[in-house]
Amino acid sequence: MNIGLENINKAFESKARLGIMSVLMVNDEVDFSTLKSLLGLTDGNLASHVKNLEELGYILTKKQFIGRKPNTSFSVTEKGRAAFNEHLNALEAFLKNTKNNN
Amino acid sequence: MENKEAFNALSEIRDMMAKSTKVLSLSGLSAVAIGSLALLAAYVAGRLLASDAISQYYKLKLLTAGAVALFVACALVVLLFAKRKAAKNNIPFQLDATSRKMLWYFFLPLVVGGFMCAALILQGHYGLTSSFMLVFYGLALVNMSGYTYSNVKYLGYAELLLGLVDCVSIQYALVFWSLGFGVFHIVYGIVFHFLYERKHAK
Repeated sequence: MNIGLENINKAFESKARLGIMSVLMVNDEVDFSTLKSLLGLTDGNLASHVKNLEELGYILTKKQFIGRKPNTSFSVTEKGRAAFNEHLNALEAFLKNTKNNN
Repeated sequence: MENKEAFNALSEIRDMMAKSTKVLSLSGLSAVAIGSLALLAAYVAGRLLASDAISQYYKLKLLTAGAVALFVACALVVLLFAKRKAAKNNIPFQLDATSRKMLWYFFLPLVVGGFMCAALILQGHYGLTSSFMLVFYGLALVNMSGYTYSNVKYLGYAELLLGLVDCVSIQYALVFWSLGFGVFHIVYGIVFHFLYERKHAK
């Protein structure tokens, strides 16, 4: 009785990574400091989560200089978009399923 | 996975999507405040227009200066209330990409409209000023509604409609102006406050 449960993506179980993906799904490109303040994370914390998502191939990191200041921005990849949508569908199916059982 | 966990995850996703694409610090109470300011200003303007002690030329100058001062005061009020709401609800209050977009879409029609109003006054078409202000303000609200609470577009539609009625009416410019900038703001602000802010606070 766990329809869709196998599609619940472990990568999105952390609240921070779920938040990062949510923000990137609806924005073309988001820079490090904006993401940090939206999610209320520390520099190191955010860095480790985005590195994790990048290794999975879910997000792209772009490093550039704006004037003399280094600027890092992130965007979601097609793979990441698909994975996130699947995760959303799984959550939805899970909720529907438990509702029907009650 | 618990039911509650899945539910929390979904609401977290929704929250983050809204927070990162919309300016949610605008406060309903600030609409009530600027509506009241507008009514007060309209009363003073009515008294000024009715008085015989001042020449037409000075009346015009005083009204224009008053309108600019009112606009600045309203902008400050909105900013102040937004800052307070942001601090209270723990939402970011800064000039980020989203708020810059919102400001751009709001001010584009407003600046164009302001320029045209100035042209109208300089060319002596005073009667149309109030309807131009209402129409362009309405357009500005509809235009910005994608980047903040989307229901602000209904206030925009109302202002647009009122401005159009105003421009075919020959009289009552000040009444239309007070209705649009005073009463509409107050009503919208109260409805907004009870729909979103009171519920949220609980």
